[in-house]
Amino acid sequence: MKWGGVQYDAIVIGGGHNGLVAAARLASDGARVLLAEAGSCVGGAAVTSEITPGYSVSAVAHLLEGFPHRIERKLKLHKHGLRYAARDVATVALDRDGHHILLPRTRKEFAAFRELLPKDAGTYREYVARRRVLAEFVAPLLGERPPALNDPDALKRFLRRSVWRAALKGASTMQNLLRVLPEAIGDRLDAEFESPLLKGALAFDATLGGAEGPYAPGTSFRAILREAMRMQGQGAKLPVGGMGALSGALAASVAAGGGDVRVNTRVVRILVEEGRAVGVELSGGVEVRAARILSAIAPRTTMLDLVGARHVETDDLRELRHLVPRGAAAKINLALDRLPQFASLAPELHGARLLIAPSLAELDEAANAARSGALPFEPVMEVLLPSVTDPLLAPEGQHVMSIIVHHVPHAMAGGWDAHREALVQRVVRMLGSYAPGIEDMMIAGEILTPPDIEKKYGLAGGDWHQGDLRLDRLFAFRPAPAYGRCETPLPGLWLCGAGSHPGGGITGLPGWLAADAVLADGGSA
Amino acid sequence: MTPDTAPPNEHPDIEIDLGSEQATVDPALFEEVPAEPPFARTVHTTPLHIVTSAESRTNRWTDWNGYTVPEVLTDLGDEYRALRGAAALADHSPLVKYRIFGRDALDYLQRLVTRDLAALEVDTAVHVVFCEGRGLVLGDGLLFRLGEEEYRLVTEETHLAWMMDSGEGFRVGIADVSATLALLSLQGPLSALCLHEAGVANIDGLAPFAARWADIARMPVYVSRTGASGDLGYELWADAEDAPHLWRHLMEKGAPHGLRATGFALRELARLEAGFPRAGKDYLSALAAVASAGASTPFELWRNPLVASGKAVFNGGRALRSLAPVPPRRRLVVLVADALEPVSLSSVLSGTRQVGTVTTSGFSPALGANIAFAMVEDEAADGELALTATLREGLGAREVVLRARILPAPLKP
Repeated sequence: MKWGGVQYDAIVIGGGHNGLVAAARLASDGARVLLAEAGSCVGGAAVTSEITPGYSVSAVAHLLEGFPHRIERKLKLHKHGLRYAARDVATVALDRDGHHILLPRTRKEFAAFRELLPKDAGTYREYVARRRVLAEFVAPLLGERPPALNDPDALKRFLRRSVWRAALKGASTMQNLLRVLPEAIGDRLDAEFESPLLKGALAFDATLGGAEGPYAPGTSFRAILREAMRMQGQGAKLPVGGMGALSGALAASVAAGGGDVRVNTRVVRILVEEGRAVGVELSGGVEVRAARILSAIAPRTTMLDLVGARHVETDDLRELRHLVPRGAAAKINLALDRLPQFASLAPELHGARLLIAPSLAELDEAANAARSGALPFEPVMEVLLPSVTDPLLAPEGQHVMSIIVHHVPHAMAGGWDAHREALVQRVVRMLGSYAPGIEDMMIAGEILTPPDIEKKYGLAGGDWHQGDLRLDRLFAFRPAPAYGRCETPLPGLWLCGAGSHPGGGITGLPGWLAADAVLADGGSA
Repeated sequence: MTPDTAPPNEHPDIEIDLGSEQATVDPALFEEVPAEPPFARTVHTTPLHIVTSAESRTNRWTDWNGYTVPEVLTDLGDEYRALRGAAALADHSPLVKYRIFGRDALDYLQRLVTRDLAALEVDTAVHVVFCEGRGLVLGDGLLFRLGEEEYRLVTEETHLAWMMDSGEGFRVGIADVSATLALLSLQGPLSALCLHEAGVANIDGLAPFAARWADIARMPVYVSRTGASGDLGYELWADAEDAPHLWRHLMEKGAPHGLRATGFALRELARLEAGFPRAGKDYLSALAAVASAGASTPFELWRNPLVASGKAVFNGGRALRSLAPVPPRRRLVVLVADALEPVSLSSVLSGTRQVGTVTTSGFSPALGANIAFAMVEDEAADGELALTATLREGLGAREVVLRARILPAPLKP
């Protein structure tokens, strides 16, 4: 059926960045695409919002770490207005006594690093090199559709190719990989490094976004995954105007391809006829038909609520049962009347990623507290001052601060309402011990707990990964075996959200790969 | 009285005078009933145990789905003659009975079973098979439509976990009513006459697989023309408390016409002759099979399994559609081995190679031969087959090989 006189080839449900990427890719390929977003703006967790008039900040996700360059280029995002305020953003592990560690990116920075940590410098170089080799091995796997589990030949080819690639990278690659897969990052770091601060920073990066602590098995592999993601994006970047600018550019790219992006358009049902998805029903009862439906929302919601159990076999639904995403990070955005002074932090590093994770013990404690539904006593966090490099976000001379608080429980014992304020106070107190006087600089602020993120930005469970990034939940197992390769058991329906391979974060890859799958299924129809 | 048999809340010494103005409170009402430990009862009996145990002349009992039921009440030969010549009454209450109800009950069942239920009318029953995602059989049973949104599924084994899992997303209720619903099976050529004598009007008007409510000796009974004997037969569904009275009433009215009480061994023999495989004996439920090779597809178990082609989605549908065109790897067949006495059969041979296994065997008096259900490799099924048998004489045993042939159609006595 036509809607507004348009015959659509494909409908994308949900206007998060993955939905936008899928829609833009299909549109650029000549398909007539409708993107239906239930909220009042597109972007999902990649949006810019105002803390208070005049102070804007990336509301949830705040750093572009793994957005592949090829997606950016193919969708002509630069042409559609995407600019960067900062590229290759540095990472600094903050120290209470001012001995901050800048994770080195250049030879010069490494020299400074060696001066600060003479014992760990050599080990660090080896660690990074090893991580790099493994990440180079993993990275291509993230950028392609995983092989079908029920196709033994494809699996064999995939494994054979992987073994060959590992062999080409050096004899120890496979050995290292096999050791890393089940390893806990904490154990590895304890064995190799001395500086608690360095260990804290490296473990923080490996566990951020997940609920596991540094001593959980499998976290070492997550460090590799994260590095591989970063390689796709060629370094961490800050878009001018916050993450909303990325979503804006993506929406413009969809429109440029002739696609329609409709906000305030909620899909209530996926229409199924004769075992095929044939369209969607919007709230208000309008039915829009298209041969291909892509869902960027959570797999479980898609199959149970939109498709309905009667159109899916029991086994296929049972596979989704474990998928109850539970976010483990909160977001705090602050408007500040001046630049906070971090003791002895070089001025040019105020725009860097500042990590507050003093040691593995603190990370572990925070994870344990979060697991038992309590707030971490000393929160660990990632702090950004985006207005340092992008001054238009705040009035002149003033700043916005964007904080991701790691290891925050999804469900608080006693409910969140009683604890929001406590969390803010603990975060500010913790910040205050690094940047004295920050309490007096705050003009306004907002806190988004995992349930708040779910409610406000539609991210199921407030979980940015939409399911743990574990080996048994990746590749063709993501989100579940019958749903690997972005496909669903229902012909005509694909999954293009973070629930699909390769998972969460602002990468656009799930959307890109789903569009791949749709195009492989029969071109632009 | 032992503590196990004493009713917990009975105080025989306290008499309550119902006529008295001064109400006396029964203290027992406020006493806590001690919880029955799970190990208190290991012998489960059916609601009809009281009457079947009175009929037993042999004291031979067996276990059926965890319930104690009579294996043989008098003599298997006599019971068989009653079944094929007059009428046989048996207690089939250990079968698992599910009540499925609610607005989405039909949609739920349509997805659960392989056949299309769109034509299923109220007060009729159909044989259904249900599979898991790989197209392997979980179980089979009879599905009754009791009302517009009310169904009853009767199976050999329990499937509650699977049925609850399948219920996610449907407005449907699933209840195991096995304990409160008794099932009497009345089979044989004179079974209609027995029912007529018992006071069921116009029983001849009931078509095969049809059912209706009847009033027998002022007890409401749901009578269905179903059964696993391959002969005229009825099943009577009654409240557990009414069941013994119903049994006595039927025996009283039917005995002059040759009605006999029969046991579990006769049921096994009758279903073997009629060609009904039994879950757990002739095939393993897909969830019970340790390896998937131990489970079977519907195409292996039934000649023409009802796998809907019109239904878009049902459990196992995707797998079954790809399995349907290829001949099954093996088949469940009924084999006949000529021997004048009952022997115990074990494996199926083609030449000297084992090509199959006997799952159920018995001596069919109608054929005068041993018959057996056997899972046989499809390629070998058309060739010459033989069965290994053990003959027992006194305490000695002798292994022999008997020639066997496949029974092309179920036995019609």
